[in-house]
Amino acid sequence: MAVGAGKTYKVPIGPVHVGLKEPITAWLDVDGERIVDATIRPGAIHRGIEFMARERNPIQVIYLAERICGICSFTHIECFVRAVEDAAGISVPKRAQYIRTIVLELERIHSHVLWAGVACYTFGYDSAFNLGMILREKVMDVLEVLTGNRVNYGTGTIGGVRRDITPKVEKVLRDMITFYKNEFDLFYNVATDDPITMARMRNVGVLSPEDAVKYCALGPTVRGSGHRVDLRWSQPYEAYGELDVQPVVPQDLTGEVYGDVYDRFLVRVLEVYQSLEIIEKCLDDLPEGDLMWEPNLPKLLNYLKRADGTGVSSIEGPRGDDTHVVKLTGGEENVTWWKVRAPTYANGVSWPIMFRNNDLADAPLIINSVDPCISCMERMLVTEKKTGSKQVVTRAELLNRCREKTRKVMGA
Amino acid sequence: MTCRPEYVKESSDPKEVVACIEERFGEDVQNLELREYKGGLEDAVQYHLLWLKVSRERFLELVDALREFDFLHFQIISGNDDGDVVTLNYHVALFREAGKGKRLGACVSVEVPKTDLVMPSLWERIPGVEYSEREMREMLGIDFDGLPNKALVFLPEDWNEDIKPWRRDETGPSEADVRELS
Repeated sequence: MAVGAGKTYKVPIGPVHVGLKEPITAWLDVDGERIVDATIRPGAIHRGIEFMARERNPIQVIYLAERICGICSFTHIECFVRAVEDAAGISVPKRAQYIRTIVLELERIHSHVLWAGVACYTFGYDSAFNLGMILREKVMDVLEVLTGNRVNYGTGTIGGVRRDITPKVEKVLRDMITFYKNEFDLFYNVATDDPITMARMRNVGVLSPEDAVKYCALGPTVRGSGHRVDLRWSQPYEAYGELDVQPVVPQDLTGEVYGDVYDRFLVRVLEVYQSLEIIEKCLDDLPEGDLMWEPNLPKLLNYLKRADGTGVSSIEGPRGDDTHVVKLTGGEENVTWWKVRAPTYANGVSWPIMFRNNDLADAPLIINSVDPCISCMERMLVTEKKTGSKQVVTRAELLNRCREKTRKVMGA
Repeated sequence: MTCRPEYVKESSDPKEVVACIEERFGEDVQNLELREYKGGLEDAVQYHLLWLKVSRERFLELVDALREFDFLHFQIISGNDDGDVVTLNYHVALFREAGKGKRLGACVSVEVPKTDLVMPSLWERIPGVEYSEREMREMLGIDFDGLPNKALVFLPEDWNEDIKPWRRDETGPSEADVRELS
């Protein structure tokens, strides 16, 4: 791309790839290779899910909620059912609370390992990406054993869970913990000790601690900026109150906070170890008892039809605080209204700050550092402001640009 | 009060926050409830959430009162068309970084009459509200006074802005606007 003194180009990245769950467009103002400013335009695939819920009863909405996101599908149904339980005054059996906690942490492991692998892939570290993907298969297999599915587990329901942890499943879970305790160090070491990783991620996409607060950043994004913010700790739900979950922040490991992509990388890979500890503790303490508050579905629906109230739930998903709000009206079968706030909704607000004063070649990495949706760069349009000329740049070209920078850093 | 982007490390008792609101706002705050959330083996109280309704005229004053305790973390605005009014619920939180079980979430409801669908924007106080205020503008037709960027956020560029998707009156989508997929 031509470098012109003071001449800026507007570069839209995104918005849509059919395989994506949360496509988003980033309009980057670039001066040569430097990103001067950025504007975010979400909504490319707003499906009106909240609108659809008005014609569905709460049980039907569970399956709608599960399809908000393929990565954190359990996070969304957990958040939705907790909001309904709050609105209707339903208490969840203790065994179900523990099983929910375990599934949430399994989901966090596969989400974080996927993200870390894709981050390595973005800047050309394919061997680390492949290693990450191999390791991730283990947790996917475990989820399949536990729920029958690799995604959209159909495991949560209002007032409990639909799948039990049998002794056989417990053994599979414990084997997985042993596997990761032995094998994940390899990925952690090759990914974090590598000087090129450090060169590509350190001081890139910085979000200062002040901006993280101002723009209401969430999850690993706000923790990467040094804030001890984690709902599993500050607002414990399900079994988390009985677990010693401390927010993972980079300064505890490195003594410093940069708030960059590397810090967000560190937070996520360290949280994989934390999730293993949580699952192990939950298995040790797993109480006996019922799985559901009311297993008879018509009875539950009848109860929900009479329920009247507003319920809210916020839980710590892999990408941050997920919030659902539900209104049920007495005598009405369907959900009156439902509001979903996925973590990327909030983290997207702080995106423009992260882009400023970075190289265009770092844009894929910065986008990736908030949300693992690299393929949202499938289509990209470069517009020269002065002449109005347009040139389509494909995702592959942008990825090449990102990898070319790695080669330059390596001196090749 | 300017935007002070930092979190307190020591939380106040939720009851103290409630008492402060009751004392300062009296009858202008309604339906005030401090809900307890229980869980775990002992069924112990794990955290609290504050629910309340305030008049639009005193909304900013209430937000500023909450901001005296900590940076008011903004989560989302939910809303509904309730006949003569559109109700907005601001979901916010205090004490995010103050310790285990210390976070105090709050749901602040405000009724906006359909004859004057304007709310004061929180953008200067909490820049993180931007998407949500823009969303409520396009979905429910609420104008936010003081919000610099009022462009559509989730609806397509060529959307007919006279249609407000979440409204249940004549400004909402008609049957012709809804395409059934199956």
